[in-house]
Amino acid sequence: MKKKVLSIILAGLMGAGVLAGCSTTTVEEAGEATADTQTAAGSEATATESESTTESVTGEGDQTIHVFLYMQEHEKAIYQKLIDQFVEEHKDQVKEVVFEVTTQDEYNQKMIANMTAGDMPDVFYVGPASVRSYVDNGYVLPLDDYVDEATISSIWGTTQEIYRYDGTNIGSGSLYAFPKDLSCFAFAYNQDLFDAAGLEYPDPENPYTYDEFIEVCKALTIDKDGDGEIDQWGVANADQFGMTPYLYSNGVKFLNDDMTKVNVANNPQLTEALTFYTDLTKNGLTPSVEQDTALGGYQRWLDGQVAFYACGTWDVAAFMDDATFPYKWNLCGWPVGPSGDGKSHTWMGSVGYCVSSTTKYPELCAELVAKLSTDPDGQREVSGITSGASIQLPNIVDLAYGEFKDAVNNGTVPYASNVDVIFGYFDGNDHYEAALQETDYTYNAEWFTPFWSGVFNIKNGDISVEDYLNQVEPEMQAALDEAIELQNSATK
Amino acid sequence: MSKNKVKVQRSAMAKREERWAWLFIAPPFIGFMLFMAYPIVFAIIASTSKWTGINSLWGNIVGLQNYIKIFSDIKFWKSMGTTIIYMIGIPIGMILGILIAMGLNRKIPGKRFLTTMYYVPVVSSLVAVSILWAWVFNYDYGLLNGIYKLLTGMHGPNWLGDEQMVKVSLIIFMVWKGLGGTVILYLAGLQNIPQDYYEAAMIDGANGWEKFRNITLPLLSPVTFYVLITSLIGGFQVFVEVQVMTPSGGPNYSSATVVFYLYEKAFTNGQLGYGSAVAVILAIIIFIITAINFWGQDKWVKTID
Repeated sequence: MKKKVLSIILAGLMGAGVLAGCSTTTVEEAGEATADTQTAAGSEATATESESTTESVTGEGDQTIHVFLYMQEHEKAIYQKLIDQFVEEHKDQVKEVVFEVTTQDEYNQKMIANMTAGDMPDVFYVGPASVRSYVDNGYVLPLDDYVDEATISSIWGTTQEIYRYDGTNIGSGSLYAFPKDLSCFAFAYNQDLFDAAGLEYPDPENPYTYDEFIEVCKALTIDKDGDGEIDQWGVANADQFGMTPYLYSNGVKFLNDDMTKVNVANNPQLTEALTFYTDLTKNGLTPSVEQDTALGGYQRWLDGQVAFYACGTWDVAAFMDDATFPYKWNLCGWPVGPSGDGKSHTWMGSVGYCVSSTTKYPELCAELVAKLSTDPDGQREVSGITSGASIQLPNIVDLAYGEFKDAVNNGTVPYASNVDVIFGYFDGNDHYEAALQETDYTYNAEWFTPFWSGVFNIKNGDISVEDYLNQVEPEMQAALDEAIELQNSATK
Repeated sequence: MSKNKVKVQRSAMAKREERWAWLFIAPPFIGFMLFMAYPIVFAIIASTSKWTGINSLWGNIVGLQNYIKIFSDIKFWKSMGTTIIYMIGIPIGMILGILIAMGLNRKIPGKRFLTTMYYVPVVSSLVAVSILWAWVFNYDYGLLNGIYKLLTGMHGPNWLGDEQMVKVSLIIFMVWKGLGGTVILYLAGLQNIPQDYYEAAMIDGANGWEKFRNITLPLLSPVTFYVLITSLIGGFQVFVEVQVMTPSGGPNYSSATVVFYLYEKAFTNGQLGYGSAVAVILAIIIFIITAINFWGQDKWVKTID
């Protein structure tokens, strides 16, 4: 009997191990591995160090600020310089700015730990998707009172809007963060493949229509070595991030205006655009689903196997590097569908610096945030005007159109010469337009996962576009309802 | 009266020793309270809430709502089903483990080398070998399909890209990864069986199969029991290899396990309360299965004594 009692206790402990998170492998370990395997759009997150690093410089004052961010090592060096400058400028006030940096993978978990422990850093990141939750739960301070209007109006219009919140809607009300960066998912083509095929380059001012794009892709899809198998494709697409620009460019919206209802089953623009998108694969203009599981589009693009591929602003530096991408290339717009507004659309992304509501030194923190975001020398450095290596585009509009473009044109910054495509997306013009992804306005992105993760079934011919959309809508709606509920749980 | 006597009789040394005893017990006890008991209680409380990590846990207690939702959660059941399917690997690993251990228990040349070889996967980083095997399984460039093409001239299966194959692939990987540990345990078990039993059986005229069936297998049952329990518990906690080889959970979520789903809910979608509820259910399942195993062991686990 004793043995049985003992065995039950043992069994209990073993079961409980799950709850206490006991396992032979830590979550961090596993998280790190995904950064390596997600190459397509996740290349922003390829920092390899898993330990967070802390650095600090000292002044003569008594105020200590704790800054907690994620970034890559070479970025960190630049921002460390800015922070050192800041300490120097405010040395009568500041004792120390503790600058802690971790990887993107670990950041959210560490922030949740900070929130749970009630021990928030003074300055940290907030993404557009989190502004509402952070404000509703009282984690962040409005910055309007601390920063002058001129500084705010010097940054991209989008970044002025997405961090504003009035308690109900994003886009108006107080400003809660300054952008660390603004990025977008543009399109790129391999010039060498165009030359080999004797085709004219895409016109950066006039993006292709759907039909024109198909024609060009047909001409670029060939069997180069003549073994009977296609080995060069017009384009490759990653469903999670590289599908929506095609759809947005046909006027598609997945959600209704107040973001409470999923609209995919009876959405003619979506049906048309998704048919176009999946037909690219069905008609062999992209690698097949099987081929895609073997080698992703990003690798094939780097290998010169595809003529078009998505190019995030964070990818440019890698594509400019001859060792990574030994081809001539340039930027262009995503193809434009017949049922949209006639413009090429894509999505933008951003993360912003915000100030903790628990900080003892709101003014000082706000000044630091403004400096990190808009200091002209700092922006010259991160955009490559002075450093020659572009990590991101300048946050300051005048700097972007002025010094940055000059530096691109005279070769100081290695960058695709059609940089106007990106500015077009950022600023909007007759041919280009961009917005944040709709998932950036909902509590989480779970509602969109069933959509993109099943699209390969259409490409495989296992289900029709119409059936797919009918089938996936309820699942998306359920996840969206859940997200809305969680969003609202904050204000209880 | 007698109680008092006992107290009086306790020497100073005994008291000192008792204090020392408490001191020795303290570190594991504090460790257990801090790193096991507290998280367990916390997770159970969190599982009854709509906690997101951002909002307040106490302000969002919703009772059993998460548990009720889980019962109609298709993805939960799908990942639970996959988790159980992966357990097909457990008996396969045991059978292979016994066979290899019996082979290694003979006086064959290169025994040490072979034992080491089988054990290397066990001590290798799970993440590293998962990445390695993702390449072995690669549809176009993988080792397996390379061999397949050499032998048959045809293109091999899409190991990680097909809903059924991806399960087969992960089972192959898990058997490979766990085999070394099982072999070592069985080897130790085999070496503990006294030779006299076999000699006695030989005198009685038993053949090889009868010796295996009536001596080896029963006397290995404590090892089998241990391997079964640990494999079942480990089997419910599979996560890393799935996350590394199929970061989005495989085609149509076909390779995702319960822990993968739990992680996705809690850390990708910010539903820490719901994720905790999944963890509690998983813990209860593991508890029940382990308890059943312990209750049932009298029926088949035999010891030499």
